[in-house]
Formats: sequence, C-alpha cells, structure tokens
Amino acid sequence: MHRYKIADVVFDLQTIYGYTVKLCENYAYTGNEPPAFFAVMTKEDIDAEKKLAPEFPEPYLESLAVFRKLCDYCLINADGIIFHSSAVMVDGKAYLFTAPSGTGKSTHARLWREMLGERAVMINDDKPIIRYIDGKFYVYGTPWNGKHRLDTNMRAEIKAICRISQAKENSIRKVSGAEMLMTVMNQTIRPSDITAMDKLLSLIDKMLKSVDLYFLGCNISREAAELSYTTMSGEKLL
Amino acid sequence: MKIKDGFILREVAGSFIVVAVGDRAKDFNGIINLNETGAFLWERLSKGADENQLKEALLAEYDVDENTAAADIKNFVSKLEEAGLLK
Repeated sequence: MHRYKIADVVFDLQTIYGYTVKLCENYAYTGNEPPAFFAVMTKEDIDAEKKLAPEFPEPYLESLAVFRKLCDYCLINADGIIFHSSAVMVDGKAYLFTAPSGTGKSTHARLWREMLGERAVMINDDKPIIRYIDGKFYVYGTPWNGKHRLDTNMRAEIKAICRISQAKENSIRKVSGAEMLMTVMNQTIRPSDITAMDKLLSLIDKMLKSVDLYFLGCNISREAAELSYTTMSGEKLL
Repeated sequence: MKIKDGFILREVAGSFIVVAVGDRAKDFNGIINLNETGAFLWERLSKGADENQLKEALLAEYDVDENTAAADIKNFVSKLEEAGLLK
C-alpha cells in the first residue's frame, strides 16, 4: 500500500501494476494527516477504462482508473474539478491554457517558459486539478502531466483561463463566462450522476465568474507569448 | 410530446445548457447550448407541453406575434426531433 497527497487530498492506494506507483512518486505522503479514502484497484477498474481506450496497455489504464477515483472524490468532497489544460505559474499566479488536443496549448506554455525563464513554473501540462477553497480557485499539480511529463507538486491561485486557437496573426480578447462555457465544459471530465453533475456545473459557474477569461488566436512565436503574457498579467516585459 | 428522461437544463454563467445524466449519459455525451427562448420552450417540453401550449406560453411571456411564435416553435421542435431528444 502507498500513501499520496494530491491536490491536498491524502489517500491510500493499492495497485495491481507498478506503473502508477512510479508515476505518483513525487506525491508520496509521510505526514500525519489521515487518508480521506483507500482505493484498492481491481481488474474491473482496468476493464472499465479499457472500454473507453482499448489501445492502451493495462498498467497505463490502471493509472487512469486511479485518476478517475481521485477526481470523483474531489468533485463530491473537495470542490475539485479536472480541467484539461496546461497550467503555468508566473509570479505566484496561475494561467491556464486550454484547447482541444493537438491545438498547441503545451507549445504555447513552452513559449512562455522560453520567454520568462525560471519565472514560469509548469504546474501541470495536461490534467491539473482545480479546487475552490475559501472563495478562490486554485490549480494543483498532478502526476497526470501529459506527454512532456511536466508538473510540479504545488498549487497556485488562478488568475486567468485562455482558450487557444491557431491563427496566422496573433490576437487576444477578453470574453464573458457565457462565451467560455462550452470550451470549459468540453475540456472537463463530466460525471453522469446528477448530484455530481450539479456540483460540477455550480463550480464552473463560480469559476467563470471569478477568473479572467480570454480567447487567443496565435501562431508559434515569441510575439504570441508576449501578447498573451502582457495582456493577461497586466505586466510589461522587462 | 416530451423530452426524453435523463436530460437536465441548467443556467451556467448566464448561458443555458442541457446535459445528459444517469443512463442517458451512456448514449449521449454532448452538450446542448440553448438561447433564452430555447430554454423557455425546453422547460415546458420537459413537462410534456404540446405545440399549442407552447405557443400560448410564448405569447404570454414574449412580445411576439402568433405566426412568428408558431414558426419558432415548429423550428425548435423539429430540431429536437432530428436530434432524437423527444419521446
């Protein structure tokens, strides 16, 4: 059995394969907080994931099943949601880039790192957890960190969410919650249980009302990163 | 005429959306975005209103003439039918 703390949730885990244990090693927990739940992974958990993604090997599917259990717990008990995005922290504030897979959110986050150097910290490049705590939205690093394996075991308050689309010319504009809603819905893991769904929708409603929202059309260039960074942070580049 | 079970309409961030829950989520994974009138009609259709009742409700609530209301309802209902959302 292994104990982890992810998104400030402590839990115990027993897996069939070693893959998830290796994946989560930076999140191992040895402190005094008691675990919130104990997940014992079974063949059935893996089979359920196999139905959704039959092309992947079982050890990887088991890691997805663990992630799903953690997400289910977070949504109901910890005001937590999964938002498919690339989360970068600069000067203590987090910026989340979202887009359908393959559009370039990881690439844009990389442009920020090239431009800002060590000031830009990758919280998670693929599947961060967002939690609503005391009236603020925080993004947490998780080990489910995308193909470039980028994450940091920390949290940061979210300043802005930015939807990326590919464009020849760079442009950015602030948008309303109503404009951003479908993007967020499509990039969030949605439950089928009605109580959980209502919880998710109320969290999304609050989030869209409390963080800055932008649509960015961009190419792959330093200018694109400059435009998105200066607009969203309100800072000038030194 | 009624909306199939398992669809819920909610207002989120000033926008109206319909999502599937329970068993319905197994065969419907999408999200439907409705405008205000669409949400108004959906709510009544989920309680089983027919086209006449929808028209009366629209006329009572909105500043719209009878022909426009009837055409809007026909259009909305046929879209729902096409999408397989009615029973």
